[in-house]
Amino acid sequence: MDLGLKSKVALVTGAGSQKGFGKGIAEVLAGEGCDIAACDMDYKGAEQTASDIAKKGVRAIAVKADITNSAEVKEMVKKVLDEFGRIDILVNNAGGSAPPANFVDTTEELWARDLNLNLVGMTYVTRAVLPQMIERKSGAIISISSIASTMGTAGGTAYAAAKAGINNFTRSLAQELARDGISVNCIAPSLGNTAFYDEFPKEFADNFIGRAIEAGRYVTPEEIGNVVAFLASDSTNRIMGQCIHVTG
Amino acid sequence: MDLGLKDKVALITGAGSQIGFGKGMAMALAREGVDIIVCDMDLEGAEKTAEDVRATGRKAMAVKMDITNTDEVKQGVDSALKEFGKIDILINNAGVGTTPVPFVESTEKDWDINININLRGTMNVTRAVLPQMIERKTGRIISMSSTAGLSGMATGGVYGAAKAGVTLFTDALAKEVGQYNITVNCMAPGAGATNFHKASNFPQQAQDQFKNMAAAGMTTTPEELGTVAAFLSSDKGRKINGQCLRVAGLM
Repeated sequence: MDLGLKSKVALVTGAGSQKGFGKGIAEVLAGEGCDIAACDMDYKGAEQTASDIAKKGVRAIAVKADITNSAEVKEMVKKVLDEFGRIDILVNNAGGSAPPANFVDTTEELWARDLNLNLVGMTYVTRAVLPQMIERKSGAIISISSIASTMGTAGGTAYAAAKAGINNFTRSLAQELARDGISVNCIAPSLGNTAFYDEFPKEFADNFIGRAIEAGRYVTPEEIGNVVAFLASDSTNRIMGQCIHVTG
Repeated sequence: MDLGLKDKVALITGAGSQIGFGKGMAMALAREGVDIIVCDMDLEGAEKTAEDVRATGRKAMAVKMDITNTDEVKQGVDSALKEFGKIDILINNAGVGTTPVPFVESTEKDWDINININLRGTMNVTRAVLPQMIERKTGRIISMSSTAGLSGMATGGVYGAAKAGVTLFTDALAKEVGQYNITVNCMAPGAGATNFHKASNFPQQAQDQFKNMAAAGMTTTPEELGTVAAFLSSDKGRKINGQCLRVAGLM
């Protein structure tokens, strides 16, 4: 099936980790012929991703931004637009979670971090990328939510709330933009064998995450990438405002 | 993206209408290299679709199947298995509604049509196709829900209940058969410019309205459903399981 993505330009946030969803997404999109802007706070990681992707014969650049910093986001998006002239596909992948803790035991700083990193940040990037999509009446925005957004997760209240915010941001924005030819959807993965849990206590990671991974109950970056590519295609733009669970 | 569907075999119900979702999905899968068993109550229509599938270079077989008739379903599935040896993909597309009327004015006959065809029919075919999928530890089942099965629609409550049943049946079955590498999903299309409204005895005025919506690009097309069905049928979509994909635009 030709998804018609050749020569489209995709901006993927959180693409600096070498085992993360972001890099997997960028690789699948590059495989479909997209040029890639790999964005991360960790510029070195983004450069590594961009250099790996350039080997696939597409153009790839690395850009740096902390998505919770609106000024940095604006500057980053401007840099991508200066380089490629447009952004056809935005993948809001950057996110993260504080180590698990019951709500009564967490601090305001930790809630703020989870809300800013997962929800506020993606609104900054979307806001910065949108005007040129609306002007060209074309675009696809795909954000990474989480199964925690619909199921909740003990020890991750702020994270789950932020991800649920993505779902409804997506639904509302899709309704606003439908007539502009822009599709807006999100994907809710279950856990991945990524760097997401690196800051979690080792015991938790080993018991909870490790066992799930051992049992094969996780999703790979490539699997997420395949669904992103599917949703980015013009041939699926009747899928609008949805949250697709990719969990197995 | 290579979906890796070459030489898979799909059975699609309700694929006899030449303007329907079923045929759109049959053609999309055929273009990916899938052989197609085209089922319909209307054998002549099924044969026409089969001919068009053959024109893409794939094998096709037309089967007369009223999905509410369990004997006919079993016979049809048996003859398909005899011919093709396996069914990798089942698309439960056949369905119909009844003239929209307030529930207090609806008859038991209306309920029977909506529930027996849309919900029990889907179960009948799934029941017949599933054993060889479980045995071979591989399979894809895609059923047709509806936007009317996700949120209620006045004068369409019984149809909506049947379609909501399909959505829930899908979710539950996915949890049962996931262990056999079988995924079960459904799609919720909005209105299409298909034969659905005529077959469901909608008033002419309502039928015309859907034609106008189609002209304005507001309806879901058979090609669009075909693309989604092909992705869900493939290995690329294997971690999507138990889901209902709304393919309806703003409807």
